[in-house]
Amino acid sequence: MTAATSSVKALNCTSCGGTLSLRAAGYTVSMVCEHCGVTLDTTDPQLRVIAQATAALRRPLIPLGTRGVLRGETWEVVGYLERSDGEDGWSEYLLFNPYRGYGWLVDDGRRFNYGFLLDSLPDMDGAQIVIDQGRGLDHDSGPYPVEVKFVVGEFYWRVAVGERVQVTDYVRPGTTVSCEENDSERTWSKLDLLEWGEAERAFGVEPRRPNSGTPSPAEPSPWRDRLMESWIIGAIAAVTLLIIAAMSSGTQRLASVDAQVGLEGAPRTVVIHGIQIAGHSSAIRISAQSDQLDNDWIDLDYSLVDKRTQESFDAYGLAEHYSGSDSDGSWSEGDTRPKTRLSSVPPGTYDLVVELSAHRWVQNASTSFFGAQTGMVDPNPTLVPVTINVDRGGMFAGNVILGLILILIWPGFVLWRHLAFEQRRRGSSDDDDDDDDDWDD
Amino acid sequence: MFMANCPNCGAAISFRSVDLPVRVCDYCHSSITRTGDALVSMGKVAEVPEDVSPLQIGVRGSDGGHSFELIGRVRWRWTDGGWNEWLALFDNGATGWIGEAMGRYMLLREVPATGSAVERGLRNGAQIIVGTEATIDGVQYRVTDVKEATCAGSEGELPFNTPPGFSMPSVDLMAADGHCASIQMDGGEVKLYAGRYVTLADMKANGLRAFEGWPMPRFAA
Repeated sequence: MTAATSSVKALNCTSCGGTLSLRAAGYTVSMVCEHCGVTLDTTDPQLRVIAQATAALRRPLIPLGTRGVLRGETWEVVGYLERSDGEDGWSEYLLFNPYRGYGWLVDDGRRFNYGFLLDSLPDMDGAQIVIDQGRGLDHDSGPYPVEVKFVVGEFYWRVAVGERVQVTDYVRPGTTVSCEENDSERTWSKLDLLEWGEAERAFGVEPRRPNSGTPSPAEPSPWRDRLMESWIIGAIAAVTLLIIAAMSSGTQRLASVDAQVGLEGAPRTVVIHGIQIAGHSSAIRISAQSDQLDNDWIDLDYSLVDKRTQESFDAYGLAEHYSGSDSDGSWSEGDTRPKTRLSSVPPGTYDLVVELSAHRWVQNASTSFFGAQTGMVDPNPTLVPVTINVDRGGMFAGNVILGLILILIWPGFVLWRHLAFEQRRRGSSDDDDDDDDDWDD
Repeated sequence: MFMANCPNCGAAISFRSVDLPVRVCDYCHSSITRTGDALVSMGKVAEVPEDVSPLQIGVRGSDGGHSFELIGRVRWRWTDGGWNEWLALFDNGATGWIGEAMGRYMLLREVPATGSAVERGLRNGAQIIVGTEATIDGVQYRVTDVKEATCAGSEGELPFNTPPGFSMPSVDLMAADGHCASIQMDGGEVKLYAGRYVTLADMKANGLRAFEGWPMPRFAA
């Protein structure tokens, strides 16, 4: 084996005389002097100047000659380009390793991407393209023109500010495949999105933090995984809650009584004795049913009294039914089967005391003979039947709904963040269709 | 291996292949052609300019179950760059080319002409358009690159002479599955080379050049 030779060749700029390091002799075709900005023809032994400086020199974030190990491969930064599609600009670092050839590090100002030229043409599969028999990529944008805005360092082609290619991008999460075309060449390249901090660590620059900037079209939503997870967990929690609700919503009839109350008659008191609530505290539902009401109402005052402690749980119900007709036609309203709930009644023996008073509703008080307005009581009132049922158990729909809302807060938040990200991501691609939409807006 | 002396400078020269007619003298860079036992100097050829290619004469590797050794090289230049073509001599006596451009390697073998439109166009001096399709050996290719190549230097053993200023049209083609091909005009004759993109690791290349500060890849160490 021969002794190690230097891979770097020292040159002097033909224009300014500054010392330059040629790092890829034989591959490099042109070199932009980092001191004065002229472009030199490195295939010419005389190092002819082929272009004068056109832009003020800028220093790349990662200096030329920086070595770094990225995903197990040692690379040296040999060239730096800034390109623009007319709206957005980005930076491209040309990486070189004599045994590995060239690679690219593309910096969109937010994330770094790591890429290579493709050795095989993508397969066309309908609207998608496929590389390496992997997951298809969707057309994202283009063809759109891309122009070189600034360049420094060495390149394996004749680099020039103002150089234009037509670019078409295809994306899938984490990967962009781009086709670049000019009159004599069509090249395909693949860029993989690097993790936050990967490129910064490799090349020794300030690590970036995830922020709210515009993601690139290939950037997978950081919320996607959490979205799946949160919805699965949320769904399990919601189903569990509903199962518990359904299981505990079975009701048990504790008591029932049929009674009659006279319209505009004296109030009646009905007592159901000895209602047993065994075991544990539970919800008690008292429901009344009075289907013969016609423009009448019944006030129902309930008192559930613990026989031992005389503690009383009071509630109120109103059975009513009204109908009539007006300029809008006939109408009717009112609930003849009011349900009243007591949320948590301790176990014990109870009496339910119900005080009922039934009234007629009249639109014009002067036509009423008996009634609340007059304070008079009909001594022979029309009797209205009322059934009162006492049931144990049942879930409170309000509690279930509140529980569901609480369960959905996190998945909802994640969905919102994911959609917001996707909107920003899609907003960053320059599809002609999108532009049309924007104009329509 | 066949040893002789350069008819120009007298230095010892070796022929690893018995079939190749041309040998460039390592010392005086004369192109020496062999007809039978007669060696004739055809004049000096350009020395290959210094580069950072990891390949060199004597690098060994293997492909398709056959080992090879690099025995020759032509450096080509076109208006916007250049590339190397390394001649590989396989253990079965066959030869192949490793095209080295932009840090990538194409391992190609000559294949019989297929009569494709690209070949006809090249023979007739027509302009070949990027994107033109061609089927070679049952593989569907598309033209990716068309250029006029000029020889910028050569070394070792070669199947043809490379006088100063020697130039030819060259067309590169690519297929979807990593296959690639090259069609060249050589002395009025259209030659087809087909193969695929490979890496140094794929070829298990060893005997590579060492560069200061660059770790030798694991497969070659």
